[in-house]
Amino acid sequence: MPATDYQASFLGRISIRRNQVIAMDGNHEQELQDLELFSKHVSERFAELLSSPDDIPCHALLSISWLRKLLDFFLCCEAEFKGVLMMGNDPSQISKPPLDRLIPEFLDRSVKALDVCNAVTNGLESVRHYQKLAEIVVSALEQKPIGDGQSRRAKKALTSLMSAMNVDDKECSAAKATERSWSFSRRGVSSKDRVPEHFRSVSNQVAKNWSAAKQIQAMTNNLVPPRGAEGSGLASPVYTMSVIMVFVMWALVAAIPCQERNGLSAIHFPAPKQLNWAQSIIGLHEKIGEEWKKKEKKGTAGLLDEMQKMEKLGNILMDFTDSFQFHGDITDQKAEEAAARSVELAETCRRMEEGLLPLQIQIREVFHRIVKTRTELLNALDQVGKSSPPLL
Amino acid sequence: MDECQSAIPAHDGDLHVVAAAHHIVKALGTTKNLSDDLRKILIDLDAHLSLITSNIDSKGGKGFVEVEERLKRVERKIVIWESDRIMIWDSGPKEASDYLEAVDEVQTLIDSLRGLSMNENQKQKELLHRASSLLQMAMSRLEEELIHMLVKHKQQSEPTYIPSPSSQRNVVYNESVVSLDNESAKEASSKNSCSDECGEYIVDLVPEHVIPDIKSIAKVMFASDYGQEFCEAFIGVRKEALEQHFDILENGKLSIEDLLKMEWCSLSTEMNKWTWSMKIIFGVYLMSEKRLCDQVLGEFGSVNSFCFLEIAKTTILCLLNFGEAIAMGPQEPEKLLRLLDMYETLADLVIDIDALFSEDGGSFVRLEFHKLLEGLADSVKAAFNAFGVAVSSNGSLYPFPGGGVHPLSKYVMNYISMFPEYCSTLNLLLEDQHSDVASLVSEPQCGPTASLSTSCPMACHLRSITSSLESNLHKKSKLYKDEALQHIFLMNNLHYMVQKVKGSELRPFFGDEWIRKHNAKFQQHEMNYERVTWSSVVLLLKDDNPGSSSLSKSAFKEKCKGFSIAFEEVYKNQTSWCIPDPQLREDLRISTSLKVVHAYRTFLGRNPAHVDDKCIKHAVEDVEKLLFDLFEGSPRSLRNSRRMMKT
Repeated sequence: MPATDYQASFLGRISIRRNQVIAMDGNHEQELQDLELFSKHVSERFAELLSSPDDIPCHALLSISWLRKLLDFFLCCEAEFKGVLMMGNDPSQISKPPLDRLIPEFLDRSVKALDVCNAVTNGLESVRHYQKLAEIVVSALEQKPIGDGQSRRAKKALTSLMSAMNVDDKECSAAKATERSWSFSRRGVSSKDRVPEHFRSVSNQVAKNWSAAKQIQAMTNNLVPPRGAEGSGLASPVYTMSVIMVFVMWALVAAIPCQERNGLSAIHFPAPKQLNWAQSIIGLHEKIGEEWKKKEKKGTAGLLDEMQKMEKLGNILMDFTDSFQFHGDITDQKAEEAAARSVELAETCRRMEEGLLPLQIQIREVFHRIVKTRTELLNALDQVGKSSPPLL
Repeated sequence: MDECQSAIPAHDGDLHVVAAAHHIVKALGTTKNLSDDLRKILIDLDAHLSLITSNIDSKGGKGFVEVEERLKRVERKIVIWESDRIMIWDSGPKEASDYLEAVDEVQTLIDSLRGLSMNENQKQKELLHRASSLLQMAMSRLEEELIHMLVKHKQQSEPTYIPSPSSQRNVVYNESVVSLDNESAKEASSKNSCSDECGEYIVDLVPEHVIPDIKSIAKVMFASDYGQEFCEAFIGVRKEALEQHFDILENGKLSIEDLLKMEWCSLSTEMNKWTWSMKIIFGVYLMSEKRLCDQVLGEFGSVNSFCFLEIAKTTILCLLNFGEAIAMGPQEPEKLLRLLDMYETLADLVIDIDALFSEDGGSFVRLEFHKLLEGLADSVKAAFNAFGVAVSSNGSLYPFPGGGVHPLSKYVMNYISMFPEYCSTLNLLLEDQHSDVASLVSEPQCGPTASLSTSCPMACHLRSITSSLESNLHKKSKLYKDEALQHIFLMNNLHYMVQKVKGSELRPFFGDEWIRKHNAKFQQHEMNYERVTWSSVVLLLKDDNPGSSSLSKSAFKEKCKGFSIAFEEVYKNQTSWCIPDPQLREDLRISTSLKVVHAYRTFLGRNPAHVDDKCIKHAVEDVEKLLFDLFEGSPRSLRNSRRMMKT
């Protein structure tokens, strides 16, 4: 196609508002339909996530299966987005205003998202460690009858679990703390309940000053809704996809232990409520943000539903083991209660066992997808750069 | 043991049988020269039989006196260590085996107590709780001993050599296509020389003599159903040890964002470090870690591979992510060699990775590395193509001064002379693009009759690159206004190419035919130079009138003058020209000398009458000497030099 054709369609795009009927040919009509369909699907998907019933554990907000659904939707939206952006029959558009600015910004955001994916993948390793500790608690408490030995065993694992989960983000990266506790012998500590040893650190994969919160904050840079004529063109799916990407990364970071998350709830994304598709995302953002604020004060490992459940059950069981040691024995009622909690904990562990690895694999999939789209967009930009004269 | 427990006598009448059996067991127990296993079986049996006896006794109200006694005995053995500051295993093998024996005894008592029916016997319940408490105490202690043991011996187990990445760091290819000189290209490309040394190299991460101790703890912890605690402790220490080794390798913990922005010079260093780390981490540490896991956990089934994966995962993910970041980066030509290193390293390791993570849980790791290998293969291809494009599109605005060997020629020839080291990899990766290039490169070597080395994909690609280089050099030669200099420039560069091919591993890939052809090419430029520069000068000395014997004085004078001016002009110009190769320079001077001096001498010899100092500005000998000033790259003028020569 000669360069003049590109020029013509570019001009046509500018005048789209004023002269819609005249400027629009069949392609544009198709394109507009695609755009509409895209934002319709986005709003449907996120509405489904927002309305997910909290009382059914496996559908609860920020549960493993909810996150997997979120990532599934991300992948679907991403595929459609690429379709809208690249399958159009005028590839040169991506190198023309406003996309010549928006696409590089989008790619920049993508790269940042990749680092978040890696941080979260790493964080899942900690969650897996919590699961293993909780499993020890379950093993100890499912013995019948529960005696002092079982109670001590459970308590030891619980202490490790609770302190591992309560390590704040900064300590998360200070892997050396654990090494110290191992290096000097704890002989001589006369207390019968020694400091728990099986405490595993979150290894920091990235630089010490890397911050998940800052990274996501940076992803929102330049993220503004398209205005005026831009709103009807390809600028709008780029914006939509960006918001989705930022939201997904934000939700992952809120749910899963990650390096440095201070100020996560303060991250604001500029999604105007009047945009249909944005409403559910805003709703989710508010809901999760509220949760985060509550949790932020306590300095918690993350909002992952299973982890919160683990924390809650852990606290109850900790009380149980404490009173066991204090009284030497417990009432049958308390024992029953503890048994019930430990069954719940076992169920939570089971859900983690089933879900964590698939979640991790799915995050890798998201990673690879983002890389792939980035490569394709770069290639497309490259092609256009070669085949058409620079716009003056 | 389980069989024993089920055989609890229902009738008092059986008491005699039990007592008899007990007696026999006790008698057998006194036998010397019993194997450890057998002795243990007898001890267990003894414990069990006495329990049965006490159980039957308890109906008479006497209770579990003997069991309690034994529990008390073993309690003392275990509790005594609680107040001790010394680690058991540090105290000596006797202490350790005594402790393990005590734990065994506790476990036996628990098993036996559990094995008895719980007929609301308060005493039995109490004893069981006490035993479980004791077991928990012992297990907690064993866990501590294990961690202490692993941490203590961790440091000593550093392999005797720690590769210094500094030797690698010098090997930085930090120039881009245009500005590379000979030396740095050579240095840059020296492939990791140590690559072969560290193939698979299993070290003792924990000293050999400690393994049985760790194993004995594992055995007793697993037997008491504390396997989970064992694994967590084991994973915790080993994981951290691996991460420390990884840190020693100085892998900068960099985000993808940082890596994509990184300057080539630093990136190249990081790529080298990655290559090195992959070899060390997989080839040495993970191999050794796997062996350690097998040694310690081999008999406990799937926990073995689970623990190994947990230990390795974060380190592996780190290496993986770096690879991904590189594979997604822009593939500039200068990255090619480093990318090839990365690709080859991973390709070599893939079999090991598959073996290390053969279990289901590790399929994730396997898959990711296979994906990365593909990604790196694509990167190599992309960088190779980018290199080809860079060679043909490298443009200049100004002619290269002196007509010497252009930096592009040096860069390209030095760079590709490293390719033969990567021959099999390049052949593999360039295979699918082979046919296109083969048809482009019109060298006869690519035909069916060619030898293997000249017809392989890499050979064809190499010749395609040099032919791009040639056409680019032709373009560059047009920047010279002086046609003679164009020839000097092409002669120099073609000669350089031929020399590089002849003097390196490239030779078999180019073949003799190519060398012959390119020898002919630069010789042609040599001849063209002589023609363009000297033909007109020599022509000045030609006899206009071959019939007559000699020239008139004025005609002779005129011719002499013309020759001098032309010669001085050439001298002034061409002393600033450059032929860097001494042999080539020499050859050209000799052949020029033959032509010009011979013509001049003949001319003077034909007109002996007119020969005197006034007419002849330059003696034949002077001309011969002066010719040797040409192509030295330092401009001279005869107005000065002549005077100097005369004095």
